[in-house]
Amino acid sequence: MWNDLANLLFLAYEQFSLLPLFIEIALVLIFVAVMATLIAYGSILFRRYNSSVYQRRLAHLSPIIEDLITEQVLLNENLGKDIPVEEIEFDQHALSNKAFRKPAVRQIIIDTLIRYRKNFRGEVGELLRKLYIDMNLVEDSFSKLRTFKWETKIKALVELTNMDIPISDSMLLPLTNSQNPSLRAASRNAYIQLSKNEPFKFFDIATEPILPWDQMEMFKIITTTKDITIPNFSRWVSYSNNKSIVSFCLRLIAHYDQRTAIPSVIDLLQTKDHQFRAQAINCLGQLSAEIAEEKLVTIYTSQPLNCQIEILKAIGKISSGKHLEFLKNEFLYSSSFDIQMNAARAIIRHNSQQSRYIITDILENTNEENQTIVKHCQNPLIKYQ
Amino acid sequence: MPNILVVDDDDIMLKAIKNILNKDGFNVVTASDGKEAFELLEHTVYDIVITDLMLPHANGLEVVGKLRHNDANRNVGIIVVSSVGNEETITEAFRLGADDYLKKPIMAGELLMRIRKLIANKNSKTQFYTKKK
Repeated sequence: MWNDLANLLFLAYEQFSLLPLFIEIALVLIFVAVMATLIAYGSILFRRYNSSVYQRRLAHLSPIIEDLITEQVLLNENLGKDIPVEEIEFDQHALSNKAFRKPAVRQIIIDTLIRYRKNFRGEVGELLRKLYIDMNLVEDSFSKLRTFKWETKIKALVELTNMDIPISDSMLLPLTNSQNPSLRAASRNAYIQLSKNEPFKFFDIATEPILPWDQMEMFKIITTTKDITIPNFSRWVSYSNNKSIVSFCLRLIAHYDQRTAIPSVIDLLQTKDHQFRAQAINCLGQLSAEIAEEKLVTIYTSQPLNCQIEILKAIGKISSGKHLEFLKNEFLYSSSFDIQMNAARAIIRHNSQQSRYIITDILENTNEENQTIVKHCQNPLIKYQ
Repeated sequence: MPNILVVDDDDIMLKAIKNILNKDGFNVVTASDGKEAFELLEHTVYDIVITDLMLPHANGLEVVGKLRHNDANRNVGIIVVSSVGNEETITEAFRLGADDYLKKPIMAGELLMRIRKLIANKNSKTQFYTKKK
């Protein structure tokens, strides 16, 4: 039989080699296309079959798991009786159900517990965590963290973070510098949430950047996580070689109004990167750093447009009143519309007698275009930044 | 036994709250979207309505607004339970007539206390108006 097949293939090859070249190429392309289509269909069918098996299993197991959680956690008789959660015992008979030993079922239990934890905190939340630990599901999550697949590691991190299970630095810190951006972001977020004493320790070793989207996610986590220790971010502004970390720290300094960081931020004005410099100027403005105002005015003329605009905004926010003449001159003599707008807004923002006098003077003695700009900036309903 | 309507699109939250409140002696009816809630509210008057804000078909703010504009349900105690935490939405919920606001994740004990307090307030108001008449 194998000989017949070999002969048939040989004959087919002989016939094929006699064909003209373009027909040979066309046949090869057809063969590749047909095979690719078959593989794609096969993989779709395989995935759909797996998904339907999972859905059926879920439909069968969900009520059992939810009953378990309801009986052991939500309706636990010891809840609300001033008994510490650590001392509340579960019915071991209910936990030792044979079905709960299968990895797929255990994964469904973990997912269900996480959904409950997202809805409940307090005693119920703590008891859900205890159930996760007592069923040894924590070990399932840690074994996922030790695999090589980055998606599985992220899943493990999400599970452990949601269940508030501490992860050792030796395991988590290397992941915060992973080459994979998704894993890097997930592990950094996990580190901030789980490490209560030094949540920003990974900033010291980070060589990979924090991407802009990740910065937003991390900012949200930092500002919403309870009992987080907020360090003085100026240490990274002064010493970190990672630009994205310095940039992120500038945002955090402004958010937490860390005025002790002002000297470090002023030092950043020397940097050659103008985007970075603009961010530092913005930070000084948000901190109302009057000490930096003189320096900002001194460097103004040598700056590119984006930094000049940030300087004008910063002077407006600081509102010391020392540089109103400078702002007036910029407004009257600059050829850039953006500069004029920001200078006008900075003057209006001062809201002092002198600034009001300047505004009146502009409205009475300058051309129509200038008057329109000032009126536009005076309108509180127009939020021009 | 006080009647409570719980409106939430998360089936786990619905089941969990139902179990917790049943355990404490409340009669609980659940709805998984705003439309279903409106249908239930047309036929029954509840003592308390617990609603999420992000709901399919009609959101929680609409549920709160409609309750307060309906004569039969005007005195229902309304507790908003939502993961939405921005000031504008919370203020809007109170402006429309919500009595209380709990941010998810919630504490079961706190929810029970707030329900009991609302029912007690409602009862004392009813007694006051009955005496006045």
